[in-house]
Parts: sequence; C-alpha cells; structure tokens
Amino acid sequence: MTWLLAWRNLWRHTRRTWLTVGAMVFCNVLLVFLISLQLGSYQMMIDGSLSAFTGHIQIQQEGYLDGQRMRQSVPDAADLASQVRTLLGVETVAARAEAFALASSEERSFGILLTGVQPGYEPGVSTFPGLLKEGRYLQGADAREIIIGSVLAANLKLALGDELTFLGSGRDGSFAAAVVVVVGIVDSGITELDRNVAQVPLGWFQQVFAMGDHGHSVVIRVPNLEQVDAAVADLDALLPTLQADQQQLRVLDWDALQPGLRQAITSDMTSAWFMYAILIVLVAFSVLNTQLMSVLERTREFGVMLALGMSPARLARLVAMETLLMSGLGLALGVLLGALLTVYLSYAGFSYPGMDEMAARFNMSALMYPQVSPLSLLWGPLTVFCGALLAAVYPALRLLRLQPVAAMRAA
Amino acid sequence: MHGSLTAVATLAWRNLWRNHRRTLIMLMAIAIGVWAMIFMSALMRGMTDQMVRNGLHTLPGEVQIHHREYRSDPSVVNSMEPPSGALLQALEGPPIAAWSSRVRVPAVIASERSTRGVTLLGVDPAAEGPLGSLPDEIIQGRFLKDADDRGVVIGASLARRLETRLGKRVVIMSQDPDNNVADRGTRVVGIYRARLSGTEDRFVYAGRTVIQGMLRIDNLVSEVALTADDYRHVSAWYPRIEAAAGDELEVMPWTELDTFLGTMLGVQDGFALIFMVVVFLALSFGLVNTLVMAVFERVREIGLMQALGMRPGLIMAQILLESLYLLCLGLLLGNVLALVTIKPLEAGIDISSVAQGMEMMGMGATLYPVLSVWDMGMSTAVVVILGLLASLTPAWRAARLDPVAALNET
Amino acid sequence: MSSISCKDLCKTFRQGEEVITGLDHVCLDIEEGAFVCLSGPSGSGKTTLLNAMGGLDTPDSGEIIVGEQRVDQLDKAELADMRLHHIGFVFQAYNLIPVLSARENVEFVMQVQGVPARQRRQQAQQVLNEVGLTGLESRLPAEMSGGQQQRVAVARAIANQPALVLADEPTANLDTRSAAHLMDLFVTLNRERGITFVISTHDVRVMAYARRLISMRDGMIVGDEHQEPRVMAVE
Repeated sequence: MTWLLAWRNLWRHTRRTWLTVGAMVFCNVLLVFLISLQLGSYQMMIDGSLSAFTGHIQIQQEGYLDGQRMRQSVPDAADLASQVRTLLGVETVAARAEAFALASSEERSFGILLTGVQPGYEPGVSTFPGLLKEGRYLQGADAREIIIGSVLAANLKLALGDELTFLGSGRDGSFAAAVVVVVGIVDSGITELDRNVAQVPLGWFQQVFAMGDHGHSVVIRVPNLEQVDAAVADLDALLPTLQADQQQLRVLDWDALQPGLRQAITSDMTSAWFMYAILIVLVAFSVLNTQLMSVLERTREFGVMLALGMSPARLARLVAMETLLMSGLGLALGVLLGALLTVYLSYAGFSYPGMDEMAARFNMSALMYPQVSPLSLLWGPLTVFCGALLAAVYPALRLLRLQPVAAMRAA
Repeated sequence: MHGSLTAVATLAWRNLWRNHRRTLIMLMAIAIGVWAMIFMSALMRGMTDQMVRNGLHTLPGEVQIHHREYRSDPSVVNSMEPPSGALLQALEGPPIAAWSSRVRVPAVIASERSTRGVTLLGVDPAAEGPLGSLPDEIIQGRFLKDADDRGVVIGASLARRLETRLGKRVVIMSQDPDNNVADRGTRVVGIYRARLSGTEDRFVYAGRTVIQGMLRIDNLVSEVALTADDYRHVSAWYPRIEAAAGDELEVMPWTELDTFLGTMLGVQDGFALIFMVVVFLALSFGLVNTLVMAVFERVREIGLMQALGMRPGLIMAQILLESLYLLCLGLLLGNVLALVTIKPLEAGIDISSVAQGMEMMGMGATLYPVLSVWDMGMSTAVVVILGLLASLTPAWRAARLDPVAALNET
Repeated sequence: MSSISCKDLCKTFRQGEEVITGLDHVCLDIEEGAFVCLSGPSGSGKTTLLNAMGGLDTPDSGEIIVGEQRVDQLDKAELADMRLHHIGFVFQAYNLIPVLSARENVEFVMQVQGVPARQRRQQAQQVLNEVGLTGLESRLPAEMSGGQQQRVAVARAIANQPALVLADEPTANLDTRSAAHLMDLFVTLNRERGITFVISTHDVRVMAYARRLISMRDGMIVGDEHQEPRVMAVE
C-alpha cells in the first residue's frame, strides 16, 4: 500500500520526476559508456604494450631490467625456457638475449639493439614476427640471418638478401663482429618498433657475443592477464630448485617490466574518477532539490497525515520510498540504455580525433572497443543510485521535525 | 522598452529568492560544476603545457630546418650547410629569440663494460643556452665549454647502464659520409639529469666542431633549431623562415615534427570543451527542473501579468533573466572557488607516484596546473549559452500560457 | 475611446466531452463613462464577456470594438499592449504580484509602459492616497488584509488613467464593510475621473451601485435596465 502511494506521489509532477530521472539516466549512460570504454582501453593498452614484445612475465637476472648489462645473464636459457614450458603447461615461452651493436650496411651505420631469439618459440610470445612484410621469419638456431623492422631497413638502405655487419662487444668484453643476411622485413606500423627491432637466432647470437648457453631473459606469455599471478607464483616456486648459478634469477611480471603502464592507467583512472565524482555529485544535487521541493510543497498534506495519526517516521519512510523508486527507475533505464550503447560500440568500435597519435604510444589500434562486463555496466549506475539515496536523507529528516498544527497552517 | 526590462529584472531577482532553499541548492550545484570545469581544464592545460614544453625541450625548438631527406633518413649523408645569406638574416631578425645549428647523428657509445645506441649531438653550448635545449641539470662535472670541447656529456641513466663514471673513457662510433666507421675515444666530462629518463638514455652531447671533424663533414650540420618563445603561434611566423630557407631545405614547425604533441594541444582544447559541456548537461536537468517548478508555482501570477498587459516576450525575458541570475551567481561562486583552490596548487602537484606512467605521455613528476583566463571564459560561455538555451523551453511555456486559464488555475 | 460595442459574440468551451456555451450571440453597447454591472449566476458568461472585452480571451465569432479598436482582430502582443495602455483589471483574488510591495505593484504597470521613474512615483503615491492606503506603500501583499489588497489592485488599475476598468467579482472575497468601501471607491472614480466601469458580480449589494444592470444567463443577455443607484457613495 505504501509503495503504491509512493509511486503515485512520484507522478504528481510528471515533468519534474522525469527531469530528475533524466538526470540520472544521462549520468548513468555516460558512466557506463566511459567506464567500459576506459576498462576496454586499459585492456588494449596492456595487451598492445605487452604483446608486441615484452610478454606477460620474464625471468631475468636480478638487476638486468634496470642496468641491461650483458653479463647479467640467464645461464642455460634455452633449457630453462623448456622447463618453464613443462611447468606451466604452455608453449608460449621463449629465451632471448640482447646486445647493442653498431650495424653497418653498405651505405649506413646505426647503433641498434640486437635480439637473439628462439625462432621456433618467439612467434608464440610476440606478435612482431607475425607482421612480416617481406621474406620469411628466422629458421634454425644457428643460421647467419636477421629480420629487421621496416624503418630500420629504410634507414640502413637494406633490402632482402643484403648483408649487414655488426660491431659490438661480447659478454666477456671481447670484440664481437659478424655478418648476417637480411631474410625478412617486418612492418608493424609503429615507427618506434620498426626502427628498433632486429632479431637473429639465439644460437648464432650466443656464438658471436660469447654468451655460451646464456641468454638475458625467458619471456612468458600466458593465455590471459588473470593467469599472470598464478604463473608468477609457480615460477617463484621453481627458481629455488634450479642449479646454483641460476640462483640470481628473478621472476618479473608485466607490472615490474613496464611500470609506466600501470601508472599511466592509475593516473588516467584518477582524472577519470574526478570527472565521475563531479557528475555523481551534480546528480545528487538534482535529486536533493527535487525531493526537498516535493517535501516542502506537501507540508500541509503531511500535517494532515500527522494529525490523522501517521508517525513522522512513516512519512520519512514514504519519502525514502519515493526516492528509492525514482532512483531505481533511473538505474534501470540508465543501465539498459548504457548497455545497449556499449554493446553496440563493443562491436562497432569507437574513435575520437587525436586517438591515432595516442594509440600509437601504447601500440593500440585507433579504434577502441568498450569492455562490457557486469563491473563496467553496474559500477557507475550503482554509485549514482547510492548518491541519490544519500541526497534524500536531508528532505526525509526534515519530516521528523514536523509539527502537525504548524504544518497544516503552512501556505 | 528600457523601463519594462528594469521592471522585469527586479521581478526576476525577487522571484529567485522566493524559494531560497531551491535556489541555494541549484546555486551550489552550478558552482561545483563550474569549479570542476575550471579545475579540470587547469590540470589538463598544465599537463599539455608541460608535455609540449618537455617536447620542445627535447625536440628542441619550435621550428627546425633540415636537409630534405634528413627526417626520413637521419644520416650524416643528409647534412646541410650552416645558415648563410637570406636564411641567416631571417634567423637573426625578430621574432626569432634564439637559434642553433647542430650535428645530430645516430651513434654507438661503448664503455669498457657495455655498448649502447644513442643519438649524438654535436652542439655549440653558447647557442644552445638561449634555445633552452641544454640538459636540465648537470649533476656531476660540467657541461661542454664550447664547440671545440673534446669531452662528452652523458645522461645519468646512460652512465649507469654503461657502468661508466665521470672522467672515464668512452668510445663513440658513427659513420662518415662514405660509410666508413668514424670513431673517437673521449672522456665523460659531465653527467646530466633530465626530467624524462628516456632522454638521459638517448642523448649524448659533444662539441660541434669536434664531431664535425670526427665525421669528416667540415662545417656541415644536421639541423637548425629555432625558437620565438611562443609555441602556440608558430604558424604566424615560420612561413617567412621557410621562404628564406629556399627549396633545398625543409622547414617544419613542432606541430608537424612531433604530430603527437601537435595533436595533444588540439585534443586538450577539445576535451576541455567536451568536459565542460558534459558537466553542464548534468547540471541542466536540475536547472530546467528548477525553472519548470518556478513557472509551475507561478502560473496564476504569470496569468495576472499577462492580463495587466505584459507581452509574452517580456514574460519570457523574465524567466530567462531569473535563469541568468542563477547562472551568473553560480559562475561567480564557481570561479572564486576555482581561483582559491588552484592558486595554492600552482607551485606544483607531486605526481611522482605515477611518474613513469606520465613519462609515457611525455610528462614529468610534477604537475603544474595552469589557471587560464581562456578556460574561465570558455566555461562561462558554455554555462551562459547552454544555460539560456536550456531555459528556453520553460520560458517559452510560461510565455505561451493562456491568461484566462492561468488565472483560473488553483 | 471608452465606449464598448459587442456584436453577435459567440464563444464555446470544451470541458472533457461536454461543450459549454460561454457566449451565445451577445450584442451589447456600453457608452463612455458608464457604470455597469454584469450579474448572473456562476457559469452565466459574465467573466467570459468581461475577458472578451478586455482582450484576455478571443471570441469564436462576432466583433468587439473598444473605442475605435477592433479588439477581436488583434494579435497576442497587440492585445497585451491594449490591456497595458487602455484597460485596468481588478480580479476576484490573487490580484497582486507577491514579491512586490504595494507601491511597486502600482508602479509595475507604469514601469512596463515606460513611464519615467519620477512621474511613476508621483502618480503611484497619488493613486495610493486616493484609494486610502497612505502609509501602507511599502507593505508586501502578504502583509495586508484582503480589502487593502483589493485597493492596491484598484490603485494599480487606475494608476495610468485608463479609460476602462474591468472588475471581475472584485468583492467576492471581502467582508461587507470592505466591499462597501471598494464600491464607494469605484463610484467616486467613475464620477470624478469619468472612467468607464464594467463590474461582474452576483452580489446584490454590489448591483445596487450600478446605473445600468445587465443580467446574463447561459451566455445570453436576459435583462438590460438602467436604474437609479440605490446606494449613493459616501463622501
């Protein structure tokens, strides 16, 4: 009965109720859209940044991440990689080694970061080999061949089949020099990557740079981000069982490998939440205004009800119910419309001007796909709902102080 | 018409305070909305400003001149003659505040322990100073004395990675125009710290003349960088430099050299506007609601005024004025609030906890909000224009009331 | 200017399903300086006729001429101007703007008309004195009695010397004493200023003041007689 009364009261001012519900729906749809877009873009940022090269987890010697010194290496890298494969039950594990060297073609010389990879496993941990534009990927662990990014190829004026000379220093500080043949050119569309990547087979790399069986990292890619923590725990348990010369090894997850990534997300979240909070506060004001008005204009009516023996607490409850119904309506419509919009966009994609440049920084495509999940759909609207209920506390409290005679006399 | 507007203005003002609770709530909502608009734009402006400044610092300069091929193939082969004739004249005249010609080639630097790829800058310290492109801070040793200085200055992060120190020997290697390896052993005479650690890893400073000698390119340079100390209005003056430089050379403003930065500036302005409009829309429901209620409560009164001979336009003006008062008061409060909250923050907000994340965007560890008159003006314009637009419907409804029906309203 | 001529006025309203006749072929001439009462039970068309004369409402057919002006052919804005400059209204209740003081209420119409401030003030004071409200100028409507409020309304209606005042049940909410005072005021103004008064009422005491009494029923004029006012104004 009271619910019915609350519902009827709500529609005494159709326009006002709809305007208030409208404010909530507007805010809810916006929040659903923005939050799912945000979560979607974080997912893409993480995937984009990690899939090109870094992987989800790496095993490195302690200190290598910061210093990248040649001798901070992983002994028996290829063997460790296969142990990890068995342990985690995934094939996407590969050993790598890295060295800076002066690369000279016939016409040009550049300092580049040369990466020794396991040709059989590297495509599993990195999307880069898949973006081959010309030629083929590396074959055989010891072959004297290289694949390079398209920008680097252009800068060095290299074509398929051309030779490239390396000058650098080995792990022991010795002079390292070699000649390789370009067998493939990769074009990822991301200038920074295409300018820097040069991959050679790990076996050959180890010979030239006097690495023995050492590498610099074992890169692991797990099927999805949620599995990272479990995999890290497994690997942490594995490390102490290894030989003595591998005791210096550390397991690093993507957050440790690219600390900027999570921080970029955090800072973006902070500014986004500032905006959300403002929207929610404004909607709460809207609800406060409406409910206060509806209480004030009914003072006389409430006076009569008090005189008839209704308790002030019951009146307060009536107003609370009205707010609940109104906010519930806003919640339902907001989630519904918000879900329709985001589900559509999660298929169609979404872009805004300037997005290309932003996206390139994080190796993302220029189209964003919002993430549709209960979290992204309900988070914002539920907060708005709570904010609205909170806003109605003051008008409801006013009722508790109402005196029947004074109220009935009120204009 | 003047008298009638005055009459209506008084009426609108008094009506505003008839339901002071409602007005105060709405006022607070508008003030918070306006504050948020200005506060957010100040943060964003601070962020882009810094991004652009950092960007221009690394670039460096607002405009750069290169050999036509240099940007696609940044090799010593694509060097240019130092400025002379008309170009030199243009560079020496206003509005150019400073310019510098520099050698900039990819190179490899090797210490006893390690080897890294870097960008080697052959500079003339005397010219770089005014351009603002010297390293942020020398933490050890000194910067180069002049273009003939035989030492190198490297970043702190690079020194760590190379496991080298001040005074140690390093070898720098590059190529000469005939693709012979050009190398020379030298000493680290200074170590610098930069706002962005990526910069520390990348740039190695050496004397211009010394590098020209090493690369065997006589007096050729890779780029000329110039600044007029006003990055927002580069397009106004750079075409003149372009004309003076002739067809052989490529003259480019920073917006094209670093399209990310260029876009960011536009995106920031656009985003600030979108944010303002969104905040306003959230506000507008409450505003329209307030006005609808105000009209609703006063139907009879409006009927009376119509009966007394007030034209519909004047009734509409009255409601719009009431809305305008509310908006202006809210704007005033919001602006004062913004002023009070942003001023103390202008010394900088420490965001070092997310510094590496911000570095991906080209930002440092401190955010300096920038309170700009433009943003305040823009928020005012958004609120007033959209506010009046939103008030049109209730005002129009009030004006269209039928006086007889309105007077009979109970 | 102040003579009123109605020819064959018709007006119907729709109330839900029902069609109600407001005015049924009403023909009426009122001469300048008249003091007319429209009487009849509620729903007889008094208010509708009054509203039509004042340009508040437009008839479905027929013509109304006030002075030389065809009222039924004016548009909304022209009607507003006509009311503003030539006609004073006094209603049954809610006559005043609640946020304005007595003087401001009187000045309001003149201000909209664009009368200069000094003249406005002077005129407002004069009419307020005339209706016997000296000393109450700065009271808000809520601070005055019903009779006082109606006097403010009269003061406002005559402030800018209209030729015609239309009063719709002006005494309905007043006690006998206040009603008599108000009617005395009307009579005085009619006599001294020559303002034409058309007053709708169903109060016989009010009708007694009229020199011409028009009776209405179901939208039609059923009686139109000239009479000697039985109650003379108290000087």
